[in-house]
Formats: sequence, C-alpha cells, structure tokens
Amino acid sequence: MHNTLRGEAVNTGPKQAVLLEALIVLLLATVIGIGSNWKLLSNALSGNVMAKASSGAAQTAIPLPLGLMQVKELFDKKEAVIIDSRDRNTYAGGHIKGAISLPLMDADKLIPELGSSVPKNAMLVVYCSGYACEDSIELGKQLISAGYGTVYYFDGGFPAWRDARYPIAGGKQ
Amino acid sequence: MTGSILKHGIAIVRIVLGAIFLYAGVVKAGDTKAFAGSIEAYRLLPYFGNYLAASILPWVEIICGVLLVTGWRAKAGATVTILLNLVFIVAMASAVARGLEIDCGCFRQGAKDPPLLAIGRDILFLVMAGLVLLQDRLTANK
Repeated sequence: MHNTLRGEAVNTGPKQAVLLEALIVLLLATVIGIGSNWKLLSNALSGNVMAKASSGAAQTAIPLPLGLMQVKELFDKKEAVIIDSRDRNTYAGGHIKGAISLPLMDADKLIPELGSSVPKNAMLVVYCSGYACEDSIELGKQLISAGYGTVYYFDGGFPAWRDARYPIAGGKQ
Repeated sequence: MTGSILKHGIAIVRIVLGAIFLYAGVVKAGDTKAFAGSIEAYRLLPYFGNYLAASILPWVEIICGVLLVTGWRAKAGATVTILLNLVFIVAMASAVARGLEIDCGCFRQGAKDPPLLAIGRDILFLVMAGLVLLQDRLTANK
C-alpha cells in the first residue's frame, strides 16, 4: 500500500502494452458479465426469439423494466395503460391515478376481460409494491402470453411513485 | 519536492477515482435488471442490447476500480475509464439533445441527478483518469 501511494506500483509500460491490457480488461469484464448473468441474458434473448417466432411483431416474452421518469412521461402523455398487479385491498389503499386493478392472483380470470377494454396493441405498464416485488413481472409475462405486444414493468412500483408525489388515487392522499 | 507532491497527489486521485468506479460497479452489478432499465431509457440500444450492456458495464467499472485502487496496471484501468466516460458523456448528451428526461443510471438506480451534473461529473472523472495516464510525463521533469 505504501508503495502504491508512492506510485511505484503503477505500470509504466509502452503505449501498446497499455492498450493491450485495456483490451484484456474489456474482454475479462465481458466474460465475467455474461457469465454471471447467463440466465438473465438467455431469458432476454429467448424472449426476442419467441416473439419473432410467434407473431413476427415487436413482442417480448419477458417485460422490460422502466424507471420512474419513463413511467411519468408515459403517464403524462397518456401513452400507456397502467396496471396495478397488487391485491384489491392494497389497490384500494392507494394506487397510481388511473391505474387498472388486475391482481396477479386473479389474472387467469381478469386478463380475458381486459381484452374487451384494452386493445392488444396498447402499451401496458405493470407495477406492484416496489423493487423486491415480482408480481408485476409475472403478470407482465402473462399479459404477453395473452397477446399484448408491448408490456413493461415499473421497477420502483407504487412506493417510488408515491414518494415522488406523483398523482395517486384511493387511500389517504 | 514538487515532483513528490505531484506523485502523491496523482496517487490519491487514482485511488479516489478507483473507489468511485468500484462502488458504482458493485451497485449496478447487484441489480442488473434495474440497470438495464436505466440503459433502456437512453433509447440507444435494442432490447437484448440493454441487458447485455447492463451485464458487462458494471464489471468494466469494477475491474477498472480494482486496478486504479491497487495501482497494478493502473494505466490500463485509466485508459478504459477514459473510454467509458467518453461513452457516458456522448450517451447523456444525446439524451439531453433528444429532450429525454432520464435518470442517468450512474450510481444508485432512481437517483435523480440532473443531466448536466452527470456530464460535468464524467468530465471530472475523465480529467482524473487523464492525470493517472499521464503521470510519468507530468512528473518526469519535476
């Protein structure tokens, strides 16, 4: 450490050696990054493949995450249908203004009903209770399976939306 | 005397820069999906590309961070750090130019750093990495 502070441990090789080492750094990061996220990348890749095979449209088998600002932008422009995947009581206690309640536990029954009011080409944003919540992803997958082509999930969920003081409905406002 | 101070100063800059990149990389590597969402917000890559970049970029930062903190192959770390920051600056400037209001995804997901602050910070990192890379030249005649 002492040597490091004095700068003696810093490599002083020629430019080509530094560039080669930089390339090795990038290759090493690529190998570790892909290796440690193999399952996630496989799912993402197979999602695209399945979508192309099933309809040829720009669909995905797993929903893509969206951040708070992107959801707010879609909300403001009314470009997306927002869906709350939490249970009815939690929805009643407070939800994103205008969100449709579609609890994951009732998805089998409610997704076909959704088809009568929301066209299959609509952009859907599904949310639940925040980052550790998987219900929105699971419901998103089911919506994609039901034929909805553009489905996102809002990673921050209701807590992030509420904490940003964006429009909510129900519960104590 | 001046040379010694300069060497120590650059060593501190190197360690601080490395620690920052190490932290940024570890935070992102811990939540690849959320980071993919942050990258998606830039609307520069296709669907799978967002996940691929989110898988690799944190490890580039982690490895660079380790090299800079330890001082072992620090110039390679500094070179990649410069490249990385140039990419970040171009991506952020492109988002600003297209009127996208996005979270830069630089550190913790959901942090709302103004784009110009993020660009300014990347330029500072660029300068810090440049100092590490040019250490020999800067201290040669001191």
